[in-house]
Amino acid sequence: MTRSTTLTAFRTALAGTALSFGLVAGMASASAQTITVWSGYPELVPFYQHVAESMREEFPDLRVEVNAIALREHERRVALGITSGQSAEVLELATSIAARYLENGLLATPPEDVQGFVADPANFGEFFVNSASYDGTVYGMPLFRGQSALYYNTEMFEAAGLEPPTTMEEFDTVAEALTQRDGSGNPTVSGWSMRLSGGGSGITEKFGINMFQHGGEILESDGNGKWRANFASDAGLATLKQYLHNLFVTNTVTVQMPADAEAFEREQTAMFIRESWVIGDIAAKAPDLPYATSTLPRGSIVNPVQLYVVGEGEQADAAWQYVMATQEPENLVWLLDNVGWLPNRSNLDFSEVIAEKPGFEAFVAYPDTYEFFSMPAIGPIDEVLTRAAASLEQAFANPSIAEDDAAIMAVLETIDNDVNAILAREGLLAE
Amino acid sequence: MLKRRRWIFSLVAILPVLAIFAYVRVYPIGEILRLSLHKWDILSREKPFIGLANFQELFGDSLFRTALFNTSIIAFGVLIITLPLALVLAALIHHRTRSRFASFYETTIFIPHVVSLVPAAMAWKWIFDARLGPLNAVLSVFGIPPQAWLFDPVLSIVSIIVLCSWQALGFAVLIYLVGFKNLPKSLFEASKLDGASGIQQFWFVAVPLLKPITLYVSVATLVSAFNVYAQVYVLASDAQGAPGRQVRVLVLDMLENTFRNYRVGYAASEAVVLLVIVLILTAIQFSLLREKGTR
Repeated sequence: MTRSTTLTAFRTALAGTALSFGLVAGMASASAQTITVWSGYPELVPFYQHVAESMREEFPDLRVEVNAIALREHERRVALGITSGQSAEVLELATSIAARYLENGLLATPPEDVQGFVADPANFGEFFVNSASYDGTVYGMPLFRGQSALYYNTEMFEAAGLEPPTTMEEFDTVAEALTQRDGSGNPTVSGWSMRLSGGGSGITEKFGINMFQHGGEILESDGNGKWRANFASDAGLATLKQYLHNLFVTNTVTVQMPADAEAFEREQTAMFIRESWVIGDIAAKAPDLPYATSTLPRGSIVNPVQLYVVGEGEQADAAWQYVMATQEPENLVWLLDNVGWLPNRSNLDFSEVIAEKPGFEAFVAYPDTYEFFSMPAIGPIDEVLTRAAASLEQAFANPSIAEDDAAIMAVLETIDNDVNAILAREGLLAE
Repeated sequence: MLKRRRWIFSLVAILPVLAIFAYVRVYPIGEILRLSLHKWDILSREKPFIGLANFQELFGDSLFRTALFNTSIIAFGVLIITLPLALVLAALIHHRTRSRFASFYETTIFIPHVVSLVPAAMAWKWIFDARLGPLNAVLSVFGIPPQAWLFDPVLSIVSIIVLCSWQALGFAVLIYLVGFKNLPKSLFEASKLDGASGIQQFWFVAVPLLKPITLYVSVATLVSAFNVYAQVYVLASDAQGAPGRQVRVLVLDMLENTFRNYRVGYAASEAVVLLVIVLILTAIQFSLLREKGTR
């Protein structure tokens, strides 16, 4: 072989290799597709991955990236992501948050088959269809809901010979009986863990759940899309009074004590009200915890969460296919079983999960008279809740008003004024 | 001619830097000033001009007033603790310059400044914990009852001041040390000959000579403390059931108004107020600490 022939052969081989690499790379980029899911619930990552796994056979080239961070950070990145055009394709949003984006036409309209699937009464109840819709059009896919029930430590209740409370008055007596104290009388295990600190809208949301049991809601509707604050009412007074009674009169709980699911899992509280995700959390962190759940005296809050898609074209098509895959019954039963959030789809068979984890019963098997409510899906709802929380938090630190109805009412009137000012500013205040 | 060429060359050389500075520093400030006069929800394309309405609402807003008050207390608290403490510590370290432990002292004090903020704040959260924290354990030795550091309205602010001061101290000491090392030795020798004690030398020679350093440290500390956010977020965060009382500060309020309440114009007006406050305080510090006769 001459030198020139060798060189030519080498060049040909090099060109052939480059061409092959180029073709392979081209084919890969043409067939592989990646969609991203943004979630505000880190515990849902395994669910989204499970859904992606279930699609692998039918869509071998679809890659799903799941990015879940704490809810408040998630809401911030959605705001920044959508406005800068850098958003993920699939977004998980609560109805109240999605309302802002839908008002501005920033979320994609689903294909007809998706809209039909959501609107079909065989798949979703009217409440969930409405939660996923804006101005009569379906935009989101109902996924799961936050719904509350009472969690109680069965060993502590048995030791005290008590049954879970069925009225709000009983909550006080049971909490007092279950509180464990040190030699100085300071509580070491709270009788009833209430949401007292941490700031943010959660304080007001939990207050609203308790207020509902007392017969009222924090915002009153005029039936025409306008609202008015209702904290300064009999139900509001009874609710705040109950918080202060437990904090400063019977001292069944203090603001410094460990609280929430973590305290319950460590047996630092006898009972607390929370959503169904705690069941999955207990299974993971405190599998031997002796506990059960019970319905609340009057009813529960329901916070529906939907999946929305941003963008259009092939990416959006793939995203909608993924969103539809979340609705496979097998995936939704997996969601309840492994994560604990309640799927919104109707006519699913949860019997096996409930048999294995009876804690779910209070969330899916409730009395016929059980009532549900949700926070209004209005743009400034988060601001309303946060504003009210600031005043509530101050009240929770003020023992001087604990037994003074007039002073408690003054706090509630201040909250009403603040909230009504926000509603008025947004043109949402009822006459 | 040569002078003119040099001038043009200097201008051309500095122009890219000026352009970058204008784009990343001046333009955003101008944009914030503009946004503060508009109503904008971050999502809408419409930004109606509303004049000074945001500012009018701001001064009637109890949450903003609380945030402004808390931020001011924290900023001045950090300044009052950091400045004298840094001066004294720097003097002590400088006094022991020849000690083989000198670099150890410097490093020990500077470490908090370079430690990542979040883990440091988490460690302090544990220290301040009402039930399990070592701070209350130490206090109990002296018969002081456990304090609710992160829940009590006053103590939660004190806790943040302590954390911020702990972080700011290293930087301030380092700058003061540079100042001490540049002080003319002849003045100290002369004062020693006049019979001045070590404390007198510190108070009557070093402190006045360090005025420019004090000016820089105080401005940097105050501006940084007015922008406090991460420390508050970690110590008293918004997490569900977080064991801490939320301390409202200006930056937190701005973030909340921007990304949770979707009120960018309103948050921009808060940023303008913060900017004005910091500018006024800086001007006051300059007028108080600048050497007489200098410009």
